[in-house]
Amino acid sequence: MADAAHAPDQSAHGAPGFFTRWFMSTNHKDIGILYLITAAILGLISVAMTMYMRLELMEPGVQYMLLDGVPNGHLWNVMITAHGILMMFFVVIPALFGGFGNYFMPLMIGAPDMAFPRMNNLSYWLFVAGASLAVISLFVPGGSGQTGSGVGWVMYAPLSTTETGMSMDLAIFAVHLSGASSILGAINIITTFLNMRAPGMTLHKTPLFVWSIVVTAFLILLALPVLAGAITMLLTDRNFGTTFFAPEGGGDPVLYQHLLWFFGHPEVYIIILPGFGIISHVISTFSRKPIFGYLPMVYAMIAIGVLGFVVWAHHMYTVGLSTTQQAYFMLATMVIAVPTGIKIFSWIATMWGGSVEFRTPMLWALGFLFLFTVGGVTGVVLSQAAIDRVYHDTYYVVAHFHYVMSLGAVFCIFAGIYYWFPKMTGRMYPEWAGKLHFWMMFIGANVTFFPQHFLGRQGMPRRYIDYPEQFALWNYVSSLGAFLSGFSMLFFFAIMFYSLRYGQRVTEPMYWGPQPDPTLEWTLSNPPPEHTFEVLPTQDMWDHSNKSH
Amino acid sequence: MDDAGERKGVDIAMSAPVLFERPDPPLLSLRIWPHRSLSRRGFVLVIGMVSLALTVPLAPFVGTSAFWGLFPFLLIAPVALYAALRRNYADARLSEELRLWPDLITVERRDPKGAVRRWHANPFWVQVRLLDDARIEKYLTLQGNGREIELGAFLSPPEREALYRDLRNALGELRDG
Repeated sequence: MADAAHAPDQSAHGAPGFFTRWFMSTNHKDIGILYLITAAILGLISVAMTMYMRLELMEPGVQYMLLDGVPNGHLWNVMITAHGILMMFFVVIPALFGGFGNYFMPLMIGAPDMAFPRMNNLSYWLFVAGASLAVISLFVPGGSGQTGSGVGWVMYAPLSTTETGMSMDLAIFAVHLSGASSILGAINIITTFLNMRAPGMTLHKTPLFVWSIVVTAFLILLALPVLAGAITMLLTDRNFGTTFFAPEGGGDPVLYQHLLWFFGHPEVYIIILPGFGIISHVISTFSRKPIFGYLPMVYAMIAIGVLGFVVWAHHMYTVGLSTTQQAYFMLATMVIAVPTGIKIFSWIATMWGGSVEFRTPMLWALGFLFLFTVGGVTGVVLSQAAIDRVYHDTYYVVAHFHYVMSLGAVFCIFAGIYYWFPKMTGRMYPEWAGKLHFWMMFIGANVTFFPQHFLGRQGMPRRYIDYPEQFALWNYVSSLGAFLSGFSMLFFFAIMFYSLRYGQRVTEPMYWGPQPDPTLEWTLSNPPPEHTFEVLPTQDMWDHSNKSH
Repeated sequence: MDDAGERKGVDIAMSAPVLFERPDPPLLSLRIWPHRSLSRRGFVLVIGMVSLALTVPLAPFVGTSAFWGLFPFLLIAPVALYAALRRNYADARLSEELRLWPDLITVERRDPKGAVRRWHANPFWVQVRLLDDARIEKYLTLQGNGREIELGAFLSPPEREALYRDLRNALGELRDG
């Protein structure tokens, strides 16, 4: 029998020291912050590489990436590979899913922590280990007698099975570890979501951000094992003489592409879905209206998740699929525009008639809305197999996926940071600085990527270190835009450092003013105490459906 | 709500003292357990759907060598999810059962790992207390037989308040005869 314990602080323990708190953390809020910081550092590395690449592409000819005065194509290939692997696996997903998901998902459902706090710690450190391997792979012997592997983030066989050196193996291990980390994280989140929602919080009353995180978790759980299998076969092909992807031994290189994209297409929704959740909350908050069409929003996310698994071969129209297959993948791909349209129009309808306030997070959300729509529309263009014949592997594709991911998902990350920064730190950033950052990034990113549509239409191929004279103009413009957005990234770090030290303290829990439908994190102090919701929250704390708005 | 508490707990009938297995029905019998939001049916549904979905990428490879490249990973995912959910249920396999007779009040607490702890007293002398200054809000305790025990520390404060009222009423009726 548990004997009664009366002393108020009997079960409390002293505050953990720095090392214990940050290196042995099992607290979902601390782990969330660790994810965000690590992703930010890796993001900076990855952005630095793009600056170098855009500098090289600024003028025709090779001026900077030289080895003994000769253009060094391998270095270029290594850079695009590393940029892709880092951004796909180690920056955007860890920030949105690991960072915001860990921090706010348990808070929003009123759970005291994740279901498995120590496994959460393991997920984080596997991610760090994977990221370290990815970075180390740049500096160990690789292809072309140099360091690093230059095969592209998709690691297509046979290029990846014949790339010499251990760099390729390290990169594969890096992706493996990232996958293991994501799967453990996903299982943790699914268990937390299914079993630890506050009493009364039925599935149809769960906040949209929580839904977005849990749909993402299911996508990870279903997609990542396929990738793990595919890259394991790559490893054995490389090292143990198997021939899964080698035609001379009865294998099939296109099989690798099928497996990769069966994971890869859900992957892009894994990246963007948590962003959808954040945007819903931001738009509702700054329109002073509850989200329009809550249920369609939930089911649209689920539909996007399901459809994401049946469209993968639209990345492979040119590998020799039959006409029937191409027709199917074309139609299935276009169907995704329906749930996505439901989301876009519901966000617009939420703003309709609301008293919209253009604070920093709202600017990022509106920026996202515009950019994601542009990227979505070019996606519909590319979904057509016939047109894709022309655009395949051109800068049009580069422009398309950077509009939905580099701009769409990254704008969601910034919307989330500016929205919740005071909640996480107890301090406010200078509003003008947040807005300046937004405008620099918005203009910079558009100037970078919009001209790449033109380059694609002119026929400029992806993944080359050099190009002929006729592509010079828009490459020059694109590089200027890249430098502006790169500078805005540095400015962002300056804002964060300044605000952490000198930002105005925020004590009001609901610091954006009264909210139409506040979720549970708005009942907590800024920053929230170390332990939250040790006692289950009651329904009136989060269910506002019976009150008049 | 669920029967998880009974599944793996120590078999009470075998080991409990005579005191705890009285044949006459108690005046009041209460069983409380921690909140879990996933029903048994939901559990089956989730595991079933995940397993089914994971066979989709596997099906085309039956009979090929690539099957064995994919199979281990596609197997690990649902098994790990199953284990995680079971483990999470197990952590909540905690229950407290209170029974009240005219001359006896008993509380049996079963811990997640199966240990059973018991307390009993004469209801006439038992004190029920609801404390606001304890480590948790609306802390509910029972005092009697030389010990003070907590009751329903895993419940929400309003639930403990309701439990407090029920117990007070039951004990009051008993004493008033």
